[in-house]
Amino acid sequence: MPLSMVEQGDIREITEFRGQEEMKRHLQDLGFIKGEKVRVVGENPSGMILLVKGVKIALNRALANRIMVAD
Amino acid sequence: MSITIALAGNPNCGKTTLFNELTGSKQHVGNWPGVTVDKKDGVYKKNREVTILDLPGIYSLSPYSAEEIVARDYLVKDKPDAVIDIVDGTSIERNLYLSLQIMETGIPMVIALNMMDEVETKGDKIDCQKLSETLGVPVVPVVARSGKGLKDLMDTAIETAQSHKKPEKLNLFDQDLQNAIAGIADVLGGNNEDESQWKAIKLIENDVVVEKAVDPAKLAAIKILVEKANKNARGDAEAKIADTRYQYISQLVKECVKKAHRGHVETKSDKLDKILTSRILALPIFAVVMYIMFACTFSENFLFIEGLPSPGVWLAGIVETMWGMIAEGVVGVIEGLGASEWAVGLVASCLDGIGAVAGFLPLVLVLFLLLSFLEDSGYMARVAFVMDRIFRHFGLSGRSFIPMLMGFGCSVPALMASRTLESDKDRKITMMITPFMSCGAKLPIYAMFAATLFAEGNQTMIVFSVYMLGIIVAVIGALILNKFAFKSDASSFIMELPQYRVPTIKSVLIHAWEKVKGFAVKAGTVIFASTVLIWFLSNFNFSGMCDMEESFLATIGNGIKWIFAPLGWADWRASVGVVTGWIAKENIVATFGQLFGNVSEEVVEAVMAGEEGLPAIGQVFDQVSAYSYMAFNLLCMPCFAAVGAIKREMGSWKWTLRAVGFQMVTAYVVALLINVIGHLIF
Ligand SMILES: Nc1nc2c(ncn2[C@@H]2O[C@H](COP(=O)(O)OP(=O)(O)OP(=O)(O)O)[C@@H](O)[C@H]2O)c(=O)[nH]1
Ligand SMILES: [Mg+2]
Repeated sequence: MPLSMVEQGDIREITEFRGQEEMKRHLQDLGFIKGEKVRVVGENPSGMILLVKGVKIALNRALANRIMVAD
Repeated sequence: MSITIALAGNPNCGKTTLFNELTGSKQHVGNWPGVTVDKKDGVYKKNREVTILDLPGIYSLSPYSAEEIVARDYLVKDKPDAVIDIVDGTSIERNLYLSLQIMETGIPMVIALNMMDEVETKGDKIDCQKLSETLGVPVVPVVARSGKGLKDLMDTAIETAQSHKKPEKLNLFDQDLQNAIAGIADVLGGNNEDESQWKAIKLIENDVVVEKAVDPAKLAAIKILVEKANKNARGDAEAKIADTRYQYISQLVKECVKKAHRGHVETKSDKLDKILTSRILALPIFAVVMYIMFACTFSENFLFIEGLPSPGVWLAGIVETMWGMIAEGVVGVIEGLGASEWAVGLVASCLDGIGAVAGFLPLVLVLFLLLSFLEDSGYMARVAFVMDRIFRHFGLSGRSFIPMLMGFGCSVPALMASRTLESDKDRKITMMITPFMSCGAKLPIYAMFAATLFAEGNQTMIVFSVYMLGIIVAVIGALILNKFAFKSDASSFIMELPQYRVPTIKSVLIHAWEKVKGFAVKAGTVIFASTVLIWFLSNFNFSGMCDMEESFLATIGNGIKWIFAPLGWADWRASVGVVTGWIAKENIVATFGQLFGNVSEEVVEAVMAGEEGLPAIGQVFDQVSAYSYMAFNLLCMPCFAAVGAIKREMGSWKWTLRAVGFQMVTAYVVALLINVIGHLIF
């Protein structure tokens, strides 16, 4: 399911990214890789705040929709 | 022997802070990723043979946005003698990803483990010895902000540079990948083994820039090898490389870092974020922050208390009074020395001009201090995120917010900050509308008109409304540009949110000092030269010294004033003001000070004491046309320095002219509407 559906406080494992190569690479550089467990620490109308490799990262819904996580 | 040491690392890891400490420079530091957008060199304070280079932050050696290309190109093309790779100790796992990549380039390198103060506060322990031994690279713990460990760091870095000691090869990759890398490196050939190996890895990672530089004859053979690597890695060798690196780091961190707490603990930053980025409160809080910022700067009824001036207004009053006394003294002295009438006139006129600007400097200074406070706190990145949803409606990304907010200070750095926007469309639109954010130099214009033409209680509202006008026009402008000039694409937003930090007094004072110094330089050069020129042009014509109304300047101004007649101010002095404003926007106030300044002694005193504005302005402007004039100068072409920045960032004259044209047309249309509609109503 898309990351955007994950609720605040949950931890999920990334399975796939559906989108452009450049964005995929950028995500990878920020620590979003297959199998990585990310935690949703915040949510608001713009998008969500995640904890990835101990770093807080904000992303908008359009992007969160394209990151798939394990159910 | 002179050596060059480059500072590289993730965005916001403290490179510029370290650079400033090492070189004594005062480069812009801020608590959000993407502050530095260009490389900058300086000389090491303790050894003048050593050049230090600050670079924009990067997450990897595969650049994503424009400023990252600068950093990567420098590292792999210009090859410094050594790199200091700055690793933020509080997010060591992510930061080391870049370190591994820099190690692959074979450039002699030292790791500076920064933010050790925060690591300590958290209670974590990092075993630098072990980290260094495992990686095969020296690791030095430092606190860039306080200067701790820097001597050690530099000694190690200089020694590494002089001995050309390369990082050891880690051989992380599995046999398949290693074969692929070796195979591609073989095809590439060349006499530098490190370089061809690095390029081979980049080619497997589908790096377009490296691929373009490869001899086309060899490309086919390389493609086959990359294909094979992909097949071996179940379709995606690039992902496998990334995965291998991260796994290695994971293991390394497990061995070398002792965390005080297992799992997730809520920090102060997290608690603040719960409020500042919350679903309901985020936007109202932002509105209050903005209000406080402007109220501190130019409110006459500060905190809604009748007659209590804000810090900015209060300071401005003091400076104006002091300048009045100084000017009077100076003129008195040269009169006493028996200087000729024209010399006294020149000096008095220049003092009037510069004084008119200096009087408003405190307003600008307070605004800058508050902006720098926002920048240092870590709040900027949050607002960019929170604003993203709103900015989408205008076809922009939340990232555009940062240049726009910086635009309230000065357009030049703001325009440069637009470099961090990854989409070309967002970047162009942002650059075209950023000058609509009223910069500090324009504030005196509104303050002058407000004091002269508007009732005491309304002045704050008038100034505030001009700022709002700029924002509204920027939004509408973005919408129009997005609809008609660019085809839109839904872009994504992703940004690291740094920890909140308390701004240091030192950094805030540096900002203030830089601003005052910058002003002094500007006043002493551009503004001074303009005032002398204006004095000459406004006191002479072909037959020598003359009445102002018959001067060169009046002739020129009268020649162009028809252009502005529909806007409500067909006056030669006002027209000249617009033109001098392009040199520096403060000049408008200086020019008015000179051209409208010839009034009786008592009035001058009242003006200087900040009790009144320049009354002569009232003979030319009414409230509506004054507002139209403020709007025009807010929106029309920014000063030449900003146009230069647009040219540099756009990289083309065509786009620069388009941007300036767009701004001119917008200014004219808005001022025209204000004048026509305003006069219908009032
Ligand atoms: N606590 C602490 N904060 C630091 C230290 N070094 C830097 N900072 C803070 O970290 C933030 C980022 O510092 P910069 O020097 O602008 O970072 P940078 O790496 O140049 O960032 P970019 O130019 O955006 O890539 C600022 O708020 C600094 O005050 C440190 O040793 N300890
Ligand atoms: Mg920097």
